[in-house]
Amino acid sequence: MSAQFGTLLEGLTRQRGVRASLIVSENDGLVVDSNLRFGQDGDRVAALAASLYRKARRSAEAARLGSVSFLQLDAERGRICAVGGRGDLVIVVVADPSANVGLIRVELLRALESLV
Amino acid sequence: MIIATVEPWVEAPLKRYVDEARARLALVLHPSGQVLAQAGFTRAVDVMTACALAAAVHATAAELGRRVDGRPFSGLHHSGAGKQLYLAPVVTARGAYVCLTVFDQESSLGLVRMFFAELCRDLAEAAPAAPQVRGPALAINFEQELHANLTALFAGSKREAAGGFVL
Repeated sequence: MSAQFGTLLEGLTRQRGVRASLIVSENDGLVVDSNLRFGQDGDRVAALAASLYRKARRSAEAARLGSVSFLQLDAERGRICAVGGRGDLVIVVVADPSANVGLIRVELLRALESLV
Repeated sequence: MIIATVEPWVEAPLKRYVDEARARLALVLHPSGQVLAQAGFTRAVDVMTACALAAAVHATAAELGRRVDGRPFSGLHHSGAGKQLYLAPVVTARGAYVCLTVFDQESSLGLVRMFFAELCRDLAEAAPAAPQVRGPALAINFEQELHANLTALFAGSKREAAGGFVL
């Protein structure tokens, strides 16, 4: 983990129920930096989350809804939250279904603010 | 998308790969440049050209990897203005092959790499157990086999050509 993003990702992964936090490239779908708990496949999460975020952003643009501020996908065994809009970078969090989404959202938006 | 294979065991994994990775073109070829399967091409001459170039690039990158890293590079990515390519080896019981994937903004390198790993697993599982005994790729045999493979790929595909892609 690089020093530049290390503190940001550690702050996200410290949240209760968060399994992984990543900074990914929206266009390439590659991991820029990550903080993963045991058992998480960072490359796979990055590729799929980036694709999801890109499609959401394009859909919002096509529907003339403006930019995407927060993306949340709830699934049976977990949820993915993502924020972007600072260049090509997207911050992604993988969390348990029981995790506090409100808190994760606040932390993600705060992390986005600190992202150069 | 038109998918044609010289050996039938490649077809299902390749179809799944191009669908899931949303690739525009895909080629599976022998490192000598002989085509094994293709997806998205409509003209034999494009397949022939792409195979020759991909084999040459793969050989160059592999040798460069040996010099720089002591072993061949595992994959090669080039990014253009609108299209990108990913070139990487596939190892099966039948031998080592090379897969060339061309994709655009509908996909990403991360997705292509992820589904390529699945393609490698699928092809390794689908490959017939008995290894194919191949002689050296001699010039006298190469052209004959190349034409036979291209004929196998494009013999029945003219009727589907409308939806294809020209290199």
